[in-house]
Amino acid sequence: MKHNFDIAYIIASLPALLEGLRMTIIVSAISITLAIAIGIVGASVRIFNTPIFSPLARGYVEFVRNTPLLVQIFFIFFGLPALGLKLSVFWSGIVALTIWGGAYNIENVRGGFLSVSKGMREAAEALSIDRLRYLWLIALPLGLRVAIPSVLNTSISVLKNSAYLQAIGLAELTFVAMDKLSLDFRTLEMFAAIGCIYLGLVLSLSWAVRRAEWALQRPFRTE
Amino acid sequence: MLKHSVVSLWLVLSLALAAASSASAQDLPPVPEAIKKQGVLRVGVKCDYPPDGYLDAQGKPQGVEVSLAKQIAAYAFGGADKVELTCVTAANRIPSLQGGKIDLIIATLGVSAERAQVIDFSENYAWGGSDVLVPKDSPIKNLKDFAGKNVIVMKGAWQIGWFEKNVPSASLLKLDGVSDGLQALLQKRADGFAHDLEVLRPIAKKNTDVKLVGEIYQLGYRAAGIRKGEKDWVDYVNAAIAQAKKAGLISTWVKQHVEADLQQAVIDNWDISKVPKS
Repeated sequence: MKHNFDIAYIIASLPALLEGLRMTIIVSAISITLAIAIGIVGASVRIFNTPIFSPLARGYVEFVRNTPLLVQIFFIFFGLPALGLKLSVFWSGIVALTIWGGAYNIENVRGGFLSVSKGMREAAEALSIDRLRYLWLIALPLGLRVAIPSVLNTSISVLKNSAYLQAIGLAELTFVAMDKLSLDFRTLEMFAAIGCIYLGLVLSLSWAVRRAEWALQRPFRTE
Repeated sequence: MLKHSVVSLWLVLSLALAAASSASAQDLPPVPEAIKKQGVLRVGVKCDYPPDGYLDAQGKPQGVEVSLAKQIAAYAFGGADKVELTCVTAANRIPSLQGGKIDLIIATLGVSAERAQVIDFSENYAWGGSDVLVPKDSPIKNLKDFAGKNVIVMKGAWQIGWFEKNVPSASLLKLDGVSDGLQALLQKRADGFAHDLEVLRPIAKKNTDVKLVGEIYQLGYRAAGIRKGEKDWVDYVNAAIAQAKKAGLISTWVKQHVEADLQQAVIDNWDISKVPKS
């Protein structure tokens, strides 16, 4: 099929796309931050085997990992109001992405905590350092460093999954593209354009995290 | 050149075959080669738009437009089962056609100048207007009352343009399907749900929590959508639709898919001569 690729169309669409991009970045940034917080809290609960909370965290992770994200999004947007909790489109999106990313981050951070050698924990106990201080002073600094690549992976997924939120009408990048498509029908140009924008976004995020990781590894580097 | 001669050979052959075998296809032009070769008619239809296209208990598309799609397949290939129905939405039907996933749109497609730039239309086969669904206790009396309010619309639907032009202060919540729209309205996520009257009418009748504003706006025509440059195919579809209408099939289908007291209104929608003069 012949098709004239129309660069001018992409340029004309840029202002609208950048508006969408702004929403994508805001929603992703908030969700990624909250998801990391959930990951740290959840993983701490898991490694100390805290009664009640540990099995809860485990059930939460299993639930989220074994159901489709789109179902979770619809459940939050259309299902929760029946239970009396009506969130706006924006907050429904953030809650959905946070819950999704949080579950994966619990496993990521837990893996990091488990990589801290058992001897450290025994030494802390011998020195009567309580659990919170052990977490803060030993497990987090050592474990989080190990967990960074997998947390980054999850964060990238959160960013990419924000595209699903177009299904509930959140005006993020994919929504803006679909919305324009439904009127202009320049399918190839539009998807090529947002593909490039997402690629750029994810590459910048990876680059920033790799810089941070490099800085964090300074104490362990032999130079 | 070779391709041309093969095509004309086929045309001659299929004409001869059509004349010899199929009585119902007698008055129709030949089916274009590219379509014929597939042996099946690929049509995009609505699946959330009763009575034109909806899913039955088995999950199969049914409805007035769906029946029309099957009838065209019956004319073209001699059997109503020679049809491959794809559920499309307002937002993805034209990209699906352009991307070659389907060869024909019969999915409540409104005729507009913007769309005519990217696809070709058959002759208009039906007409319709829009209305807005509101909660039963809504204070809204007419369309002007939506100024500064939230209105649910379907992505890519033609009510979007109307509201942007005529009630620009209304903010639009754009969703994918009619069930999403109704759900969101019932949850009071917006003050109204703007859509085609034909869909909203049975909803308002069945659901006592909602009512219609009753101000009809944006009268428009419906036509089948076809990729640009497939002139023979447009001719064929036009002839097939005309034949189905002449045979009185529309009212047969409407009676199968529409409740008794709404049937006449829908039959009128399929009669271009019944468009209200404004």
